[in-house]
Amino acid sequence: MKRYALFLGCTVPVRAQHYELSARNVAKELNIEFVEMDDASCCGFPIKAVDAETSLLIAARNISIASTMNLNIVTLCNSCTAMLSDAQKQLKHNEFYKKFKELGFSYPHDVVVKHFVRVLYEEIGLDVLKKAVKKPLNMLKVISHYGCHYMRPSQLHEFDNPEVPHTLDELVTVTGAQSVEYVDKKMCCGGSVLGIDEALAVTMANHKLHTAKNSNVDALISICPFCTVMYEDNQRKAEDKFETQYGIPVLYYPQLLGLSLGLDKNAVGIRFNRVKASALLEKVGVA
Amino acid sequence: MIELKNADPNFKWEIIKREGGEGLLKCFGCSDCAASCPVRYFDERYNPRKIIRLTLLGMKKEVLSSPFLWFCAHCHACTERCPQGIMVAEVINAIKNYAAEQDYCPEGYKMQLDLLNKLGRLYEIEDFDLRKREKLGLPPINKIISEVAKILEHTGIIERVHSKNAHANLKSETRNTNE
Repeated sequence: MKRYALFLGCTVPVRAQHYELSARNVAKELNIEFVEMDDASCCGFPIKAVDAETSLLIAARNISIASTMNLNIVTLCNSCTAMLSDAQKQLKHNEFYKKFKELGFSYPHDVVVKHFVRVLYEEIGLDVLKKAVKKPLNMLKVISHYGCHYMRPSQLHEFDNPEVPHTLDELVTVTGAQSVEYVDKKMCCGGSVLGIDEALAVTMANHKLHTAKNSNVDALISICPFCTVMYEDNQRKAEDKFETQYGIPVLYYPQLLGLSLGLDKNAVGIRFNRVKASALLEKVGVA
Repeated sequence: MIELKNADPNFKWEIIKREGGEGLLKCFGCSDCAASCPVRYFDERYNPRKIIRLTLLGMKKEVLSSPFLWFCAHCHACTERCPQGIMVAEVINAIKNYAAEQDYCPEGYKMQLDLLNKLGRLYEIEDFDLRKREKLGLPPINKIISEVAKILEHTGIIERVHSKNAHANLKSETRNTNE
C-alpha cells in the first residue's frame, strides 16, 4: 500500500467535491492510502502575483505539515502542485530556509510533491492501471486538457513534455477511451486572468471548447479545478459570447478512470458535473 | 514614443533583487516570449517583451501603471521558449510584485489577501459545505487556518499593499496609463 499526504487546497474541497470523491475512490481501488493534512491552508498561489515570497512561505508551511508526517504530498490542483514544488525546492536554499525557520516551522524530512495524475502515471503505472480496468470505455472519444502548471515550468517539474505533453493522453487511453490529437494542446484555460479581464479569460477558454466541439468528443478531461471553472462553469458564457452551443461535459480524470474501474456513477460524483453527462453515461452503460 | 528623460536607471535593479526577477538582464529582446504567449494570441495589448524592454530602459511609471501587466496568466509558455533561459513569467511576476507595493495592486488581489488573512483559505467554509461533505463521506475540514495570518504579518505584505502614500510621487507623475 502506497501512502501519501493529501493536499486539497482551497477550491477542491468546497467547489469540486466530485473531483475529491472520485480521486479518493479511485485511490482506494488502487490500494493507495491518503492521509489527511488537517491544518493545511491555501497553497499560496493566489497571492503570488502580489508577493512571491509570502506565497512561498505559505506553501512551505504546508510542506512542513507533510514533512512532520514523513509523507510525500499528492495534490489535485495544477497550481497547488507548482506552488508547493517551488517551495520544496526553495527550502533547500539557505536564505529561504532561514526565513522559514524564523516563523517557527520545521522540515525534518524532504518531501516530494506530485499531482495525483503524475502519481498514477509514474508510481502506479500504465500496466497496473490496464489490469485494473474492468469496464473499458471504448465507445468514448475525449479531448485531454493538461493545464499549464501540471508540467510547466519544466525546470520545476522535470516531467512530461512542456510543449507536447502526452502522459494524460496515455492515461486516458488506458481506460479504453480515445484521446483525440489536436492543435494548441498546451493552450491555457484563461483561469489566471478571470479576475482581471473576464472577456479575455472566456475567449481563451472558448478556444479549446471550440476545438472539442469540432472534434465531436463526448467530454473534455481536466485535471485542475481552475481549468474546470473555465471550461465548465464558464461554458455558458463562452456560448453566449461566441453565439454557439457546446454542451460539452467536463470530467475530471479520476471520474473517467473510476468509471473504467467499474465504480458506479455516485462513487465518481457525476451528478455534480454542471454540464450534464447523461449522454456519456448512456453510452458507457451506467444507468 | 519613449521619453528617456523620465527613465529611472535604478528600476531594473529593484526588479532583479526581487524573488523571480533574477533573469531580467539576460534578455536580448528576441520576442520569443511574445510569440509564444497565449494571452497575446488573443489580446495584443499584452506584450511580455515590451514590458521587459521598458523595464530595462527604466520606464518605471509606464510599466507599473499599465493595467496590461496583470494580463500575464503565469502559464510559463514563454519560459519554455526563451533562448536565454530566463524564467520570463517569474520576471513578469516580480514586476507585478513591485507594482503591487507601489499602490497598483488590483482590487481582486487585495480581496484575496484579506481572505487569506481572515481564513487561511480563499473560500469561507459554511456549515452547509461541511454537511455536504459529510453526506458524501468526505472527511471534515477546518474552517480557519490561522497560521497563514501569522505569515502575512511576518512579511508585512498587507500593510505594504494597502499603504496609499508610499509612492505618491510616482503616482502623480503618471499620465497615460494605457500604453
